[in-house]
Amino acid sequence: MRLYTAVLLAALVALAGVLLGLWWAPFPVALVLGAVAVRARVALTAGALAGLLAWLLPLAVAHERYGVGPAASSLAAIMGFDRRPEVPVVLTLLVGTLLGLTGAWLGSGARGLTRSPSGDSFRHQ
Amino acid sequence: MTAATTVAERPAVQARAPRPRPSQWALINVAMAILLSATVLFVAFFPLTAAGLPALGPAFNPVTGAWTMAADARDTDRTMHLDGLQEPVAVYLEKNGTAHVKAQTDHDLFLATGYVHARFRLFQMDLMRRQGAGRLSQVVGKAALDSDRFELQLGLLRTAQLEWQHLEASDPSRDALLAYAHGVNDRIEEARRTHELDVMFTLLGYQPEPWTPIDSLLIKGDMTQTLNFTDTPLVMALLMKSLGADLTNEWFPILPPNQQAPYDPGPYPPASVAPIAPMSPPAPLLTGAEPLHDRLAALPAGLIAHGGASNNWAVAGAKSASGGALLAGDPHLHLTLPAIWYQLSIDSPTYHAAGVSIPGTPVVLIGHNEHIAWSLTDAQNQQTFFYVEKEDPAHPNLYFWNGQWREYTSIAYDIPVLGGTTQHLKVRWSVHGPVISERGQTTSVWWAGNLPSQDLGVLLAIDRASNWREFRDALRGWLSPTHNFVYADDRGNIGLISAGYYPQVAKGQPWLPMPGTGEFDVTGTIPFDQIPQDYNPAAGYIWSANQRQVTSDYPYYIGTASNFFDPGYRANEIRRVLSAPGKRSAGDMQALQTDTRDFLAAEIVPVLLQSLAKEKLNAGETAAVAALKSWDFRMETDSVAATIWWYFWGWYMSETFQPWWKSRAVKVDMGEVFDGLGQGLETWTLHNPDNRAFSAPGVGSRTAPDAQRKAFHKLIGDLAKLYGPDPSTWTYGRAHGRMLENLAEVKGLSYGPRADRGDANTPLAAGGYPSTHGPSWRMVVDWGSRTFSGVYPGGQSENPASDWYTNRVDTWWSGDLDPMVSVDEAAGAAGVRTWSLRA
Repeated sequence: MRLYTAVLLAALVALAGVLLGLWWAPFPVALVLGAVAVRARVALTAGALAGLLAWLLPLAVAHERYGVGPAASSLAAIMGFDRRPEVPVVLTLLVGTLLGLTGAWLGSGARGLTRSPSGDSFRHQ
Repeated sequence: MTAATTVAERPAVQARAPRPRPSQWALINVAMAILLSATVLFVAFFPLTAAGLPALGPAFNPVTGAWTMAADARDTDRTMHLDGLQEPVAVYLEKNGTAHVKAQTDHDLFLATGYVHARFRLFQMDLMRRQGAGRLSQVVGKAALDSDRFELQLGLLRTAQLEWQHLEASDPSRDALLAYAHGVNDRIEEARRTHELDVMFTLLGYQPEPWTPIDSLLIKGDMTQTLNFTDTPLVMALLMKSLGADLTNEWFPILPPNQQAPYDPGPYPPASVAPIAPMSPPAPLLTGAEPLHDRLAALPAGLIAHGGASNNWAVAGAKSASGGALLAGDPHLHLTLPAIWYQLSIDSPTYHAAGVSIPGTPVVLIGHNEHIAWSLTDAQNQQTFFYVEKEDPAHPNLYFWNGQWREYTSIAYDIPVLGGTTQHLKVRWSVHGPVISERGQTTSVWWAGNLPSQDLGVLLAIDRASNWREFRDALRGWLSPTHNFVYADDRGNIGLISAGYYPQVAKGQPWLPMPGTGEFDVTGTIPFDQIPQDYNPAAGYIWSANQRQVTSDYPYYIGTASNFFDPGYRANEIRRVLSAPGKRSAGDMQALQTDTRDFLAAEIVPVLLQSLAKEKLNAGETAAVAALKSWDFRMETDSVAATIWWYFWGWYMSETFQPWWKSRAVKVDMGEVFDGLGQGLETWTLHNPDNRAFSAPGVGSRTAPDAQRKAFHKLIGDLAKLYGPDPSTWTYGRAHGRMLENLAEVKGLSYGPRADRGDANTPLAAGGYPSTHGPSWRMVVDWGSRTFSGVYPGGQSENPASDWYTNRVDTWWSGDLDPMVSVDEAAGAAGVRTWSLRA
């Protein structure tokens, strides 16, 4: 449940940023997520999914409205992957996912630095 | 779940407790996270120029990145607000993408035309202005540096700036250029706002700068350069130096050795300039030609004109089945996606024209209005002259001209380079023009394209003209490139005039680099009334196909037979068809545009068969001869004989000339002078088989039939290796195809190669393999039935995701034409999209 909530919240915030033209929004959103989440595994999964969704949903909407098939084919051709329209789609989703994943990882890792060797967290007063 | 919750569940650490040291694992973990994050962010934010990768974030994000091409590709009814409009404008887009602009003022017409052009072709327009202005490196990197340096040296930017400065406030083309630029900028602003700039802007990571009238003039300069800036004098100088004056004079004469079909047979008025002296090379002038020639040869395709290939003709009403004049035109250019052309009609209080325009310019260049139709081909006369400047170490930075040492004029340019440091370029100008080579000798170039002209104003006047007098008067101001403007009107009249500058030199040999000391300068041009032209000829038809327009009686020098003018086979074929008895229809015009009969083959193949009549042949050779015997000389994809002929002519040329090239170490590629050599070979084969050309050093004494037989035997053996032992499978479609190349050189967005008919000699021009040059627009007009039709290969949109990227290719490929309907017909047509433009 925690994971779902984290994914949902992070994805919504990241999506809002992407829709405003801040395509890099998944990274800082996931960074915060990683910094505050207790479990790194949860943070990384949620960050990656948030990044994926933030880039996937607008693409899905564009496909619904205009059809992105010809655009995918054209991008594939430009990239040198003729007749492989899945390549730019995968690349696009990969970039969104990596922005979220790396943000979450960095946040989680930074959080790890603030924990004791025994794994106890601490806070500065 | 939150950190606060977690902390609350655990005992808080005492504030004064010593700070625990992170574990080694935590350090490694964060180091790896930093490394990966940095990598991801770097490739997301910054382009990897060396790898050709754009910044992935802005390029691929689905809201503002390349995916917006999907939204841009849609075609819907829309209402848009454009800054600068005076009244509402309607734009109708036919199902095939043809645009019709209907405006209530001329200003609005040009503004809306600019908007429409930019809406569909902004990247193409930007690329073309960058090419002319020497600014390609700024967006594509150092690969374009040679092109940028050359363009800035040649001076298109300077000429465009001067043209704009010289444009008087009252000139209608000034208003047209300003309004057009306003419309382009409206689109740039809109595309920025909606993130719908063309995908190539996104992937290259830059945004277009505002459009100016000078940009439109630059694009006109691009076209002038690609059509008539030639390096022929340098080629001739290299031939003189290596092949020798004797053979160069004989094989590359001023007047064509073969039978051609000039459209203006005279009589001509006497010349007012001195006749041209015979060739004799001033040897010291030839030394600098080689490095300059090599430099020009290394430039990207399209910057140097290498011969033209276009057709146009008209048939008078008296010889037309419909009773009205007929006109056909198909300019042959580099075939690209998007095409050089954008089809539209323009309708305003002053202008009612339809046809094709060049994106970036506000005029219909080829088309018709309510009373006249016109098309053009390149006239091919010499407009490029090279001058070797006289310099002396005792007079540094000076050149000697008209008895004095003079200073060069210098202009400094900065060339920004993507991923590199800004380059500085100093361009020097003599009285002849820009210095374009300082290796070996200082060479400057006099090029008619560098003369500020008001050619856009001429084109606007043509768009408005309603009869021959107005059409011809408009062309008085046309300078460059020289074009054969064919004409037909709604009263049955036809005409052809080869308008433009025909530079004349005081003395010397203009087909070679000349001394720059003043005596050999360009002194003027042929008077307008004496340039090649004809109106309502008695034959009832008139034609041009880049052939020399006049006979040997013409009293002026206008260029040599080699490289400047076409060998004449297309013109001969067109004249052959038009001169046949009977009346002609629009369908006949269309058929002639796709005529694949090779005139040269019809001359040479019978001679070849005669040469082979008593020859001992093997099975493959016998089958090849049988195919040639039954051939109709048409270069069709299913023809075996067409393949044999296509290869034979090249093998025969090689058999004849290669030994000379080898023995004299000629430094010009034979391909560069193929047409010139071909005219000689044709003439000797038909009329002088004992010519010494067939007896090159090392091959002994030979005749034309000897060379033909040897070439034929070798050819059949080579074809068997290429296509297999069975000659019945050697169809032309296997050997010859055509390709439409993406303008940005993205291979995946090109079309073809696809098997296709025609060759360099057929009216349906398709030289080379794969052929990338050919009929860039076909138009047929029948004033009797007032029907207009046309098509170009490609589509109206540069967006590869659009249905209008390649939707016209099949129509064009099959030789069909689309109807060119009027604005009002388009407005009521099924499937039309309407844009309502408001202020």
